[in-house]
Amino acid sequence: MTGQTIGMEIELQRASVRFNRFQAVQPTDLTIRAGEFFSILGPSGCGKTTLLRMISGFLEPTEGDVRIGGRSMLGLGPSDRPTALIFQNLALFPLMTVWENVAFGLEMRGWPRAKRRARAEELLATVALADHAGKLPDQLSGGQRQRAAIARALAVEPAVLLLDEPLSALDLKLRQHMRAELKQIQARTGITFVYITHDQGEALTMSDRVAVMNKGQIIQIGAPARIYDHPGDSFVATFVGEMNALPCKLTESGPIAQCETPLGLLRASNPNALPASSDAMLFIRPERLRPLSPGEEAENTLPARVTRRDMEGAWSMIVTEAQGRKLLVNMPNDGRGAPPEGEVRLGFEAAEALILPKGEISHD
Amino acid sequence: MTHSPRGGRQAGDLVLHVYMLLFFAYMFLPLIAMMLAGVNDYSPPSITVWKGFTLRWFSALWQDARMWSGLANSLMIAGAVVALSLPMGLAGALLLSKLGRRSAGLLYIIMVSPLLTPGLIIGIATVTLWSQLGVSGGVLTAILAQSAFISAYAMLMFMARLQRQDITLEEAALDLGATPARAFRRITLPFLRPTMISAAVIAFLQSFENYNTTIFSIGGDHTLVTEIGARMRFGISPMINAIGIIFVALTVICAVLWGVLRKRGIARQA
Amino acid sequence: MTSLIRAFGGPLTCLILFFSGVWVLGLIAAPQIIMIDKSLWRMERPVGAAELSVQIDGLYNRLDLLALDRSTVADQPEKLAAIDTETSTIQAQIADLERAETTPVKTYTLDNFRQMGAAHFAIFVRTILASLAVSALALVVCYPIAFAVAQLKTARTAALIMLMLVVPYAINELLRIFAWQMLLGPNGPVNAVLSALGLPAVPFLESGAGVFIAMVYAYILFMVFPLYNVLETLDKNQIEAARDLGAPVWQIHRRVVIPHARPGIAVGCIMTFMLSVGSYSVPYIMTRGTAAPWFTQLIYNRFFEATNWNVGAAYALSLLIVCMIFVFLMMRLLKVSLKDIAK
Repeated sequence: MTGQTIGMEIELQRASVRFNRFQAVQPTDLTIRAGEFFSILGPSGCGKTTLLRMISGFLEPTEGDVRIGGRSMLGLGPSDRPTALIFQNLALFPLMTVWENVAFGLEMRGWPRAKRRARAEELLATVALADHAGKLPDQLSGGQRQRAAIARALAVEPAVLLLDEPLSALDLKLRQHMRAELKQIQARTGITFVYITHDQGEALTMSDRVAVMNKGQIIQIGAPARIYDHPGDSFVATFVGEMNALPCKLTESGPIAQCETPLGLLRASNPNALPASSDAMLFIRPERLRPLSPGEEAENTLPARVTRRDMEGAWSMIVTEAQGRKLLVNMPNDGRGAPPEGEVRLGFEAAEALILPKGEISHD
Repeated sequence: MTHSPRGGRQAGDLVLHVYMLLFFAYMFLPLIAMMLAGVNDYSPPSITVWKGFTLRWFSALWQDARMWSGLANSLMIAGAVVALSLPMGLAGALLLSKLGRRSAGLLYIIMVSPLLTPGLIIGIATVTLWSQLGVSGGVLTAILAQSAFISAYAMLMFMARLQRQDITLEEAALDLGATPARAFRRITLPFLRPTMISAAVIAFLQSFENYNTTIFSIGGDHTLVTEIGARMRFGISPMINAIGIIFVALTVICAVLWGVLRKRGIARQA
Repeated sequence: MTSLIRAFGGPLTCLILFFSGVWVLGLIAAPQIIMIDKSLWRMERPVGAAELSVQIDGLYNRLDLLALDRSTVADQPEKLAAIDTETSTIQAQIADLERAETTPVKTYTLDNFRQMGAAHFAIFVRTILASLAVSALALVVCYPIAFAVAQLKTARTAALIMLMLVVPYAINELLRIFAWQMLLGPNGPVNAVLSALGLPAVPFLESGAGVFIAMVYAYILFMVFPLYNVLETLDKNQIEAARDLGAPVWQIHRRVVIPHARPGIAVGCIMTFMLSVGSYSVPYIMTRGTAAPWFTQLIYNRFFEATNWNVGAAYALSLLIVCMIFVFLMMRLLKVSLKDIAK
């Protein structure tokens, strides 16, 4: 790569977007570190694309400031910002060849034709498209178009690359492959990546940090493992990954609290230090719930009935029912064999379950 | 007699087919009769009196100076109308695409109003305006009058095309550093090119074939079509039928060509 | 405005505004406004014309007196000169007053519309009624055709039939009309058939029947295409479903097909009506001046033969108003918007 591109920091200061009466993005403070792979995860319509368009310059914040590399971006259009955007539909120019697409940004910067062609071919080589420079975008496969779009965005040597669900049109295999490739490009270039997605798998696998967004608001920011293991509220808990949820009422407070659920008294960690007798929810991941063999004990036990077993290769999803409530159990395929259909005892440790204030549940 | 529903439907289909056959006979027989009279060696044009095949009406046509000058005028007017109505229609479509809903609505009504106005009124209004400015009716006023409504066709075609454009393409160009004007030139204009060609063809044909607006706006001049109209009134010479044969032949050729091209276009898209 | 500049940049915005302005203001609005204006005024004898003529008569008397005086003072050069200067000033005064008396003044009035006497008004009404009849007839004839073509299943046949519709549609209007002039002429094939059947000859061209027949023929295809375009988009399963539910044919059309075809019906009717009511070519070619004129011919005469442009403009405006009312009625009746129509 010519010209060292170094990622820049992005800072939102009380930035908000309102369309007439609809508040698309609530006033938001957010710092995305230079050179970081940052994902914004949320259901469709949560305002994440609006947030991205605000950073890229297609939208001005209604209030607040957007700063990139320490400089306020207010009043600067998309062409004047050190950002490049990869669109959801890629937006490759259909009437231009692949190399002309890649060289478009350079053409706009007044590069002579020969020079920009050479640079475009260089970039195409880095995304393994060297042989396709003369084709039209329509003649490329899905993954190739993806890479052409990336090369086009990288050609302008942005400090920040914004990606708006660019993998959503690909099939599963290709999507997984492209995830690795994106991560690699990010590491190699050192550019700040801001990645928008509603697919938690994408967000968790690629990102250094993830922001979970709902209803125009960022609810929680953290490393993928932190988001997964320590969700801040009921929405994050249920939106990210599979989760069993039970309504409960605390009977005893403390770091490990005891609560009354429809399935009996259960104990779980209480990170928010909710006081006794508050209404709350108890969350337990399917992989932390395990069928108990006869005689085996756990801090919490529940009687249930296995209604279905879905073998998914490395692990099995066991669907159980307790008092009319569905509980999912995830078991590694470690040779011990899944319990047969019928009565079963489930158990989990108190530290592996969470009690969080009652709130919105994602039904994704 | 009772019919099964199926038999009833077949009978219905038969009636429909006979009806279609009659309709097409109604469409084509008069034209065929007109063409036959053009090669009948008898004047005034007739098919009831048949005097044998001749091509002399074509040679009379060839030697008719007014027809030639009319053709020259027609071509000149059509060329000018294309040159005017393409930029005007495109400008109108672009303007509408960026205006707020309410102002666009009003402007849209004004822009399509010439299509809902009888052609002669457009012609008359144009001549009235320009006579006020000291320009009497002629080729110039005919060009302006025709452009008023032909631009509306162009505008509608451009609008339809613009509505099919993916807006993210322009956004991508802006994001990559293009100015709005360059994004328009580099992305939108090439996208509109096929429409420009078809709009130019439509505008040319509309202008060339126009009678109603032209006859009211051309003053003392004449186009091929107004000249044909003037000769038709008294229908004295089968020369007009000879012209008819030429027009029909050209139309059929163009229509078939258009059909073939369209089929190719569809095949290429698939 | 700012959104325009943001979208296209300054110079391009200027071009767009310039061309749109030339078109909308220069080619559409200004001509119509001038025409409307013209229909609302005419040149009239100035208001004070009667008093002026009295005044002028007085001055002429004074001139006669001066001429008499002149003969009596022929030997006195000074008096003679005085009389001569007075004579010339009076003559100049008379010339001014006479110009004022005869120069007409632009006066706003509705008289141009009232000029349409009973005879012209009858033609106006007949033109409208005949045009309505043309539209209605075209609708009735074309509906089954458009429906049948839209129902065709094989693409090949559909393409062929479309071609067969496009060809007569694309052939110049004048030729389609002219074909009927010969057919309906006194020695034409139609009359030949009639006489072969022992029936009396019909003066089609002289009676105005020829105008109607040629008009239906010339404009009928403007009904077929709008109808076809909407009927083609009708999901054939809807018809099957209605049939399956036991609806008889006429109910299928009344409840399923016609409601779907509303925009096409509106466009077709508006086109045929507008073309008919504003047609100059059909009556011009099909009557040879023998039958009663069409309203458009009256307009042509006011403009280019009688050269009374004010009355001509008033007539043209009347026609335009009729068309606008018709468009409005169709849109209201069939509940379609302008966007549906302009396609």
